[in-house]
Amino acid sequence: MPFDTKNESNHLVVSVDEARLDASIAENFKDYLFNHIDQDASDMVIDLSVVRFMDSSGLGVLVSALKKMDGKSKIKLAGAQPAVLDLFHLTSMDKLFSILPTVTEAIEEK
Amino acid sequence: MSDETGHSLKLQIDSELSNTALVAMAVRGLCTMTTLSPVEVNRVELCIVEIVNNAIEHAYDSEKGHKVEVGVDLLQSKLQFTVSDWGKSLDESKLDEKEELDVDGDNPASWLCSGRGLSIVQNLMDQIDYQSEGDKNSFIMSKQIRE
Repeated sequence: MPFDTKNESNHLVVSVDEARLDASIAENFKDYLFNHIDQDASDMVIDLSVVRFMDSSGLGVLVSALKKMDGKSKIKLAGAQPAVLDLFHLTSMDKLFSILPTVTEAIEEK
Repeated sequence: MSDETGHSLKLQIDSELSNTALVAMAVRGLCTMTTLSPVEVNRVELCIVEIVNNAIEHAYDSEKGHKVEVGVDLLQSKLQFTVSDWGKSLDESKLDEKEELDVDGDNPASWLCSGRGLSIVQNLMDQIDYQSEGDKNSFIMSKQIRE
């Protein structure tokens, strides 16, 4: 599975080791995130630095994870590449997520 | 050269979501040969993925073993993409209204988890059209290019 997690400074850091976060892996990614959200109420940082392309299905998973957290914890995104950032701007989803250049900055962001 | 004398090619995949990347990358490669900017190339790739996935998920209910065809016409003033399936046709009323891609950050009920693909394409492409002829459905979208 192209997803991994580690705990860092009270955050759950989820890394996506896949160049394309698209419909073909969206269900797996959603299950993975939901399992972790069920087990751990920590704020989450999703490291997208390897992801070069995201479609609306990948984006939908992030939104559904945010809704599942129901305001109890935060999801911050790190390392979004140009095409991914463009998708967030186009869809105004940058209003819902904090998007930071690196995992370290995402963890430090209050 | 008139628009009618451009170059064209057709790509075909089986209806599996994991195959969408194949046509997306091929179209992306073609687009880099045009005057489209890197941002525009990314956006065309996104539109191709959204419409091909739509065909697989909705026309064929995510069932493997069906044909999805992507035609690309490289014309003088525009690039035209035609995504065809032989499954259930699209509810064309969905194309009538161009939805704004905005979100109310204070209203989680309005945060859509799916169904955003068509709106993205409507906002990024210069023109879209949908045609059904016999059992073939074609989603046609075009993007102007600088000459």
